[in-house]
Amino acid sequence: MMIRLIVAALFILSTPWSGLAEVQDETLLDIQVREIAKTLRCTVCQTENIWESGAPLAQQMRGVVRDRLKLGHSPEDIKEYFLSRYGDYIMMQPPAHGVNWFLWAGPFILLLGGGLFLYKEVIGWVRRTPASPTAPPPPLDEKARQRLEHELES
Amino acid sequence: MTKSTQLTLVLVLLGLFYLFYEGLWGNPRHIPTVLIGTDAPMVEGPDVETGEMISLEQFKGKVVLLNFWASWCYECKVEHESVLELHRLFKNDPNFVMIGVNYQDKLPDAQQYLKEYGTTFAHMRDVKGQLAIDYGVYGVPETFVIDQQGKIRYKYVGPVTGHMYTKITQEIIAPLLKGQPVSTPS
Repeated sequence: MMIRLIVAALFILSTPWSGLAEVQDETLLDIQVREIAKTLRCTVCQTENIWESGAPLAQQMRGVVRDRLKLGHSPEDIKEYFLSRYGDYIMMQPPAHGVNWFLWAGPFILLLGGGLFLYKEVIGWVRRTPASPTAPPPPLDEKARQRLEHELES
Repeated sequence: MTKSTQLTLVLVLLGLFYLFYEGLWGNPRHIPTVLIGTDAPMVEGPDVETGEMISLEQFKGKVVLLNFWASWCYECKVEHESVLELHRLFKNDPNFVMIGVNYQDKLPDAQQYLKEYGTTFAHMRDVKGQLAIDYGVYGVPETFVIDQQGKIRYKYVGPVTGHMYTKITQEIIAPLLKGQPVSTPS
């Protein structure tokens, strides 16, 4: 009986407490902050977004995102606010307008241009290369024919 | 390969090399500002020394120089004498106001800094970092000049010393105080 009780106690203690998990869960606000923060570049760390960055400015920016969400601003309004303060640089994905189109379309244009260039060059090389001989090989002379027959028989 | 194809290829490669050069050797700290010509945010904050509220609203109609600084910032110390000199130069003009904005700092450190290096103008605290974000600040020191109409006319990232001091005093503030237009974006 005692052993059963100890085993049961150990089982209960080893099971994750679902109540605690709920407390640690993100709220809807946390999720919204995270999703917006992931789209904004940390201006002092360059390659990180403000969600991942530990810089004080990134932390303050996350605070601004949270405060504005609490005030009822939409994610678009918040992104627009940061854009109006820092310009396109603040966005992890540069908005597709003006010269930014080159950033989006550039790789594809280069790929297409490079592919066409390569295709044209390969076709040119093929055309310039002399065609392989299609005429039948000359007949064997008698001496060679006899040597071959001898080798095949041996 | 035709001559025109060769020329196109060379131009494309040169363009790519230029982009690599810009990416590798350009100043990564420089973010082009979008604030020039826009309305200056009417921020407010407690005075670093007295705790009384300072609001930019109360300086409407004047040329305002905003200088973001912090006690931990080396370049702020470098520019400190120049900043004080700039204030000495224009402080007698009733249409000029200079405000320091203490950024990401602890109050005792900021107060000690002002005591140690001296000051002749008011400084407001950016308690939550909101002021700095409103002005698109990403490092200190940063300096803004706001005209009588409340528009941001100039922004400079870095210490206001040497030729920048000359530029800001002679080409930005002096013309604005005379009501002349300036066309010198950062």
